[in-house]
Amino acid sequence: MRHHAIDVFLRFSAEVTGFKIVELRGTGESGEYLGTLDRIVGPDVVDELLSAYAELQPREEAEREQLLRRQIFGNEKLGPIARNIIKLWYVGIWYQLPRNWRERWGVREADVTFTVSPNAYTEGLLWPAIGANPAGARAPGYGSWALPPEIPQV
Amino acid sequence: MSAQEYDVVVVGAGVAGAVLAKHLTDGGLRVLILEAGPASAQSLSGYTQHLQTFYEARSKGPESAWPADPNAPQPDTADLRYNNGYFVQNGPQLYGSSYSRVQGGSTLHWLGVSLRMLPEDFELRSLYGVGRDWPLRYDDLEPFYRKAERDLGVSANVSDQQYHGLTFPDGYDYPMERVPLSYSDQWLSDATDGLEVSIGERAIPVHIRSYPAARNSIPRPSYQPTGALDRSDEGRTRQPFLGERCQGNTSCTPICPVQAKYNAGRTLAQIEPRKMELRARAVASEIDVDSVTGAVRGIRYKQYDGSTHTVQEAKARRYVIAAHAVENAKLMLASGLEGTNKLVGCNLMDHPTLYAWGLAPKPIGPFRGPLSTAGIEDFRSGSFRAGHAAFRFDVGNDGWKAPTGSPDSTVLDEVMHHGRFGRSLRQQLESTLSRQVRLSLAVEQLPEESNRVRLDQRFLDPLGNPRPAIDYRIHEYSLAGMAEAARVARAIFDHAGIEDHTDPEKASWFPSVQYRDRTFHYHGMGHFAGTHLMGDDAATSVVDHQQRSWEHKNLYLIGSGSFPSMGTSNPTLTIAALAIRTAEHLVSELTSE
Repeated sequence: MRHHAIDVFLRFSAEVTGFKIVELRGTGESGEYLGTLDRIVGPDVVDELLSAYAELQPREEAEREQLLRRQIFGNEKLGPIARNIIKLWYVGIWYQLPRNWRERWGVREADVTFTVSPNAYTEGLLWPAIGANPAGARAPGYGSWALPPEIPQV
Repeated sequence: MSAQEYDVVVVGAGVAGAVLAKHLTDGGLRVLILEAGPASAQSLSGYTQHLQTFYEARSKGPESAWPADPNAPQPDTADLRYNNGYFVQNGPQLYGSSYSRVQGGSTLHWLGVSLRMLPEDFELRSLYGVGRDWPLRYDDLEPFYRKAERDLGVSANVSDQQYHGLTFPDGYDYPMERVPLSYSDQWLSDATDGLEVSIGERAIPVHIRSYPAARNSIPRPSYQPTGALDRSDEGRTRQPFLGERCQGNTSCTPICPVQAKYNAGRTLAQIEPRKMELRARAVASEIDVDSVTGAVRGIRYKQYDGSTHTVQEAKARRYVIAAHAVENAKLMLASGLEGTNKLVGCNLMDHPTLYAWGLAPKPIGPFRGPLSTAGIEDFRSGSFRAGHAAFRFDVGNDGWKAPTGSPDSTVLDEVMHHGRFGRSLRQQLESTLSRQVRLSLAVEQLPEESNRVRLDQRFLDPLGNPRPAIDYRIHEYSLAGMAEAARVARAIFDHAGIEDHTDPEKASWFPSVQYRDRTFHYHGMGHFAGTHLMGDDAATSVVDHQQRSWEHKNLYLIGSGSFPSMGTSNPTLTIAALAIRTAEHLVSELTSE
């Protein structure tokens, strides 16, 4: 287990998903997602992303958002991976990287679109983000749908 | 049981075969059921494995929990776009529906809508001069509807269901109370209060109405609901007391995790094991008929295990083909039994369906509860049916999932095309997904002989059985109904203040059809019908009112293939009611022989 990498990965994930680290840990998916990244794009590229993130100094929110946008999401190599990390957390699916990324940095055999695991689906963050349960799991109980939705505050 | 001891051989362990077999065995008869697919959902652990298959599926369409065995291939709506699936589609339109070949059948992934047909649906030709009349009337079927409602476990209140001439005997109510309306249904009901939409000369008031659903709710006195049943290979059944009541998994289709929604496996598990033998992975391939008398001598079937199979023959006093509207026709045609009037396989129908979707002016909490809990039934009846199709709306509880793949697709869109992340992403998802509204506009289709199932001998499955080829056209009658349905949907959106986002260019791919200067993108409802329709004249129908073949007196073809017309009801409850009626007829006939 890459302990230091997990810590930075969680801090980065919390910032780009809008969820707290404790909520991300609560899914039980952090190890599986970092492992998926290591397996598909390789630990070197993952570390490059996490180092670039760690170099962003603590600043106020608006400025951090600009920096993230410019130095991570706007980076040709790191941006597609960062966006895939958001999608992993929200949907539990690894989406194949864009063609120009694959042409420039190499096609990896494991880089195909797939659901990471049954748990990755049911732990997707998009469901709590909208006050719902994942379709087919964690049912809230008989009649709950007749009540107004309760969406947790960001 | 040895072969000669069976009273009835049934082909197919879906809802028609299961309900029929239950009533045959309750009546003292001995039954052999041949099921083409595997029995993989029979035990609780097997069923749970299908749930894991669904969780892990990349695409979560109606078939995603139920992959086919290669020896019993089945249609998959994901194959429509490139027309490379099980059906050989000859057009001009694509037939958009699917079914599953597995023990329990397509009820494993149906929505659970259990509407009765309207009295006028049985007399379409007499009343409106279109389609065909049934050889039965609503009153003939009404007692069997009640029995079917009990067998399937239907939740509704009679007080909601007395419309368009539907009648219930005094004192009758459904086995369970209606499933609570969703918060979004309640909002839409308030927001459409007072709305009337004109069809022709007539102004029709719009109601958001609870529909009868085969999903467990609060039982009425004297009714014991059935939840998940765990049946061993030896036929022992255990009730693990899971899923007695709908928990709001928001996954009726493709799989209810707790089996609070009816599936035919629940009926099979309740059959007295000493009276029934069930052979899964047994594909009926030929009906063996005596060429002189026309009587059936046996059913030849292929019992497979992986890549090997043996050919066997099942014999009994009567034969019932309950394999699904398309598979029934396929088996008849493969046996050379197209009939003197050549109507086997003809008159294939569906409910071609449009979507309308939009954003409510406030959060209404979609993606919660059963996939839908209400419908709009007001446009199913009326003299306009002389000119164009009737239609029924399903009011979704699952946002834009069906038309656009939301909520996943909304996440992708925001991340990939709008560059959102962090707090801004969450806020955007919260403000759009929480307001998504979807209506399904299911349109009636008339029987047309040219819409048909044939066999294409160029394409054989691994067991050497031919694949079904389909000729299908959506005619003017339905297209004009689609135009009216789309107009009604817009009126509802306008009145309720729903921002219309219906745009096929921004939706998942669906088949399309031209009508005058417009293009409709439609999908199938899974409501196959008509391929062996019933009538009171052997010259113009395939089976009689008991679903008995006119030409083969010991053979019955049951299911929605027997429907001479469809109306706008989802067919399952009527399939079950007809199966019970046929079973009672068989019990009476066979016990007096």
